[in-house]
Amino acid sequence: MHIRRYDAGYSRRHFLKQLAAGSGAAGVLMPAWKALAETGEVTRAYPEELLSIEAYTKGQIKPGDIINADNVDLVKDLLEPVKYEQIRDMGRRLKVKASTTDLMRLSPWEYLEATLRHQGKARFDDKGNVVAPDGGPWIGGNPFPAAETALELFASLTLNWGRHDGSFYAIYEEDLGPEGRVNYSYEAGWAELSPVARTTMEPKPYWPGHEDKLRYQSIVFLSPQSSRGTSFLNIWPYDHSTFPVLYGYVPEFKRVRQFPTDQRFEPLIPGSTLYLSDAWAAGDPLYTWGNYRIVGRGPALCALDDNWNPDDKNWHHGTHGGPEGKTFWDTTVELVPEAIVCEAEPVKFPRAPVSKKRVWFDARTGLPVAMVSYDRRGQAYRSFDAAFSTYQRGDQQFLDGAHPYWSWAHVHAFDLQTRSMTRLEQVREVAGHATIANDASMYDRYLTQSALSRLGS
Amino acid sequence: MKNRDPRKRRLLTGARNAIALGAALFAASAQADGFFSNFDLAVGGFLRVEGTYSTSSYDNPNNQLSNIFNGREIERQAFVPPTLLQEVAVDLPIVGPIVDLLPIDRPVVDSWTTLPLPALVATDANSPGLRGVDSAAGEGTPFPRIDNDINYAILRGEVEFGLRYGQNWSLIGRLRGIFDPAVYDEFDAQSVAGLRRGIFGGDPALYRGKPNYFEYRVEGDSSPNPLEWTGDDYQVYFPALFLQYNSGPVNLRIGNQQIAWGQALFFRVLDVPNGLDLRRHSLLDYAQEEFSDKRVPSLGIRLGYQITDAVLADAFIQKFQPTVLGNPNTQYNIIPTQFTVHDLYKEGDYDDELSYGLRLKGNHGQWGWQAIAVERFNPDGTFRWTKSNVATPLPNELTTTGQYVNTTLALQGLDSGELLAQTAFEVAPGGVYSANEWFNYAAQVRLNGITGLNASIEEFPATTELYASTVETFEEATNQLNTFFIAAGGSLRGHIAREYHREQVYGLGGSYVTEGEPGSLLDQLIINLEVSYTPDRTFTNTSLSRNYIVEDAWIGALVMEKYHRFTPAFPATYFVLQYMYRDTDDLFGRHLSGYGGSETKVADGISEAHYVALAFQQPFPQDVYRIGFATLYDPRGSILVQPGIKYKPSREWTFEAFYTYLDGDLNGANPNDTLLSTVDFADEVTVRIAYQF
Repeated sequence: MHIRRYDAGYSRRHFLKQLAAGSGAAGVLMPAWKALAETGEVTRAYPEELLSIEAYTKGQIKPGDIINADNVDLVKDLLEPVKYEQIRDMGRRLKVKASTTDLMRLSPWEYLEATLRHQGKARFDDKGNVVAPDGGPWIGGNPFPAAETALELFASLTLNWGRHDGSFYAIYEEDLGPEGRVNYSYEAGWAELSPVARTTMEPKPYWPGHEDKLRYQSIVFLSPQSSRGTSFLNIWPYDHSTFPVLYGYVPEFKRVRQFPTDQRFEPLIPGSTLYLSDAWAAGDPLYTWGNYRIVGRGPALCALDDNWNPDDKNWHHGTHGGPEGKTFWDTTVELVPEAIVCEAEPVKFPRAPVSKKRVWFDARTGLPVAMVSYDRRGQAYRSFDAAFSTYQRGDQQFLDGAHPYWSWAHVHAFDLQTRSMTRLEQVREVAGHATIANDASMYDRYLTQSALSRLGS
Repeated sequence: MKNRDPRKRRLLTGARNAIALGAALFAASAQADGFFSNFDLAVGGFLRVEGTYSTSSYDNPNNQLSNIFNGREIERQAFVPPTLLQEVAVDLPIVGPIVDLLPIDRPVVDSWTTLPLPALVATDANSPGLRGVDSAAGEGTPFPRIDNDINYAILRGEVEFGLRYGQNWSLIGRLRGIFDPAVYDEFDAQSVAGLRRGIFGGDPALYRGKPNYFEYRVEGDSSPNPLEWTGDDYQVYFPALFLQYNSGPVNLRIGNQQIAWGQALFFRVLDVPNGLDLRRHSLLDYAQEEFSDKRVPSLGIRLGYQITDAVLADAFIQKFQPTVLGNPNTQYNIIPTQFTVHDLYKEGDYDDELSYGLRLKGNHGQWGWQAIAVERFNPDGTFRWTKSNVATPLPNELTTTGQYVNTTLALQGLDSGELLAQTAFEVAPGGVYSANEWFNYAAQVRLNGITGLNASIEEFPATTELYASTVETFEEATNQLNTFFIAAGGSLRGHIAREYHREQVYGLGGSYVTEGEPGSLLDQLIINLEVSYTPDRTFTNTSLSRNYIVEDAWIGALVMEKYHRFTPAFPATYFVLQYMYRDTDDLFGRHLSGYGGSETKVADGISEAHYVALAFQQPFPQDVYRIGFATLYDPRGSILVQPGIKYKPSREWTFEAFYTYLDGDLNGANPNDTLLSTVDFADEVTVRIAYQF
């Protein structure tokens, strides 16, 4: 149902009003989450201009079109500034699709079910931790689906990054210099496992004996040989103010060593612009950052679906743009009716290279779709934009159990100051390690000190 | 638009050798349905050129052509052996008249200081010791003292592969190949083959030709390291080749592997499972890499069990493999080449022995602990005098000292060659030429020159038939040594055996991570304390006696690590400050009682050793550049300083350079009273260029 009785400026005024108030739930015509809960879609919550790119651009851009330097100004207000510049000046292109309205394609099925089941039950306790009604750790799903504050958005995100109980992402990374050449390439695996707030993996919602932990997370580099075996393991306490303990396997030393818990803004490997802190735009414990605030609202072009490439046996994505046609992933975007722009500052990292981060959330799901971090001088430093997808296209699909897998598909991490780009993509398999979700074996395979030693050999 | 499959790309662009070709073929078959579809193969590797340029003015003094006595004529005087006159001379028809000729009353010769042998009687009686010259025959060319500009130059290649079968099984392999083009001024034992019988004893592959850079050879076995193939100038081996089984918390490895334990870096307190391979660049590689390519792999079984999130058990049982020392005349050889070493690893049946151990390790937030118990053979081994089994006789040129000895022996029906074969000495060039050299080198290797001489006499009865006798004073020892060197035509080589000893090592470690004001120097300081105790550890006796020193040994290390950001513009600087305490031996495993000697005095020993190490690494943004600095300081008077830089501009290329500065006698300290004088010669710049495929 398309609402036509509001003029083009109605939604803009609504967003400005909410922004001035400093908080407010998503939705223009009605709370978005209420619409989603009732119908599985958000169409009742937004006017037509926010649900259709064709309507928004008055027919100048339609699904199937390509946004490039010639027409990017038509959607300038829908893009983060960095992405706009990349299209205008660096040859980046975005393919446009119709907006996804089916809620179940925007997050894992079980996560959304738990979100619906547990809505209204979450609260912050005296320590600021998100807890269930009984005061215990959260019990699954998005605790604040109708988030009204930046803190709620970040709390939900930090609580569960990948929205599965457990994920192992096979990752291919390429790092490009300003001249557009691929200078470094890596194969890596990223594992994350929730011992609490579990919706799929048994036992749930808690893994007995591990209720005091929020997350086990590791990253291991599998190739090339010079970095092979380098790995880091974070064990996150549930307390949202406490740093994770950090262990690392250093191939030269042939053993696991303990690292400082605040070691979260350091380069993990040569050439990469990524820090542990960058993970999911919320790579650090909730209260090691602060001054959470909403600084913007409005529609946005985001990559939420159709970004899985089953045509390639290992799911590799095509590239384009930049001096050598390799700087950007091929990306499909769609109009998101409402993005919430939040900022936060690294209050527990007095010597961090960033002074703040700005994160764009899809207001309907709380999913982070882009981030820009700023250096200590306040200059834009690095830009991140992620593409997500349900891993289903036509009759091709990849299941995470009973349902098509939903996850991120690729990420751009662009250093604005050095003009270097790090591109990540989730692939089917690297060096014999396959992408998996909700598989209990991943703890022993990837998330213990023993696993780090084994993977480092 | 381009798709990029890393495996295809790797195979197309990187697999430039037979193994990679095999990988391609295997990968192709692995894609087929059926049994092979469960396999997954990954291959990677690199080629690296490594070279070091010497910035010191002298080479390794342990080698023939860089012996500090080369080119120096050292005064020597032969003396009449006291036992000759006391027990033999009066009864001999030839010696008796000689004694009568002496312009003194018939003396009472009761020591090695009593009666110099006149040059009138023996033409070589006061011949100087000049390395390379046969003083009996007046032949030979003095050994020059060389100073190579290039200390070390090799080409190294490594290939890693992982063959996985399903989720539980994998075969892990790393193949390393090294070629040394030997661009050095080398000693060739054939150059002295015409002097007496040349250097005859010992393994011909090690002692009768040019330096053998890579072969580890022991008595009775020319290749005791499994999965290693070596020649004079090349080495190919598997640092790792093992089958791995993983199921849940269990991790099992079977095969050739290395094990690293403990948290201290470079200081080996709990890192006891493997010996070290000191061929190639010895311990003088980039300190920041610790012992990355140094641990000697062993065939064994290693079982890891993750008991809980926080507690890990790790056990191993493995075939005992010794520490591998540099061969004679190779660049970083640590055993003076006046010795011939007989490694008894095979003949002593040590190659059938096993070492085994258990480690428990736990981490509980800020706190951590570990405990080890290991039953092993100490891979360093011990050394003692052994029979040379070389029957080269003393010179028989007319009126030489050697001829007089031969004659007196002949009158008793004895042969000097047969007797010498029963002693620890060999008449040969390239040995010790003077008492000065004897004492100097004894001090350098932390031995006692006098007790060493006495042990070589007491434990080999044939020496007394050659008129040797134990001594008490430095002067007696000097005179006796010079007498025998002269009688031998210039020099004697010493033969020593290397043996190994079982021991138990127990260790405890604790760690603590401090918490302070975020970003402050005292925040996130990682502190580790490790202590090991070895009851009845066996050490080389400073006399090289077969009666080894057996003492309890304590080793402790305190390690403090810190990552600190000085500026938001640069990644954190990594610092590590370490202190080590040892109460029995030094960092190289030498007993402390051998410290303090010199050319003019014997070792008086020290009671304990202390070392301090400080290192830092500073990565630049994106870690394309990384500078490092390491220093090791022995408060007794020596220091190693090593700055370095690593530059990785791309996936394929890595450039590294580091400079090693050593001072073994800080502030005029006796260099034999401190650790690092042993490698003081190795001031050098090392450059590495690696291409990864």
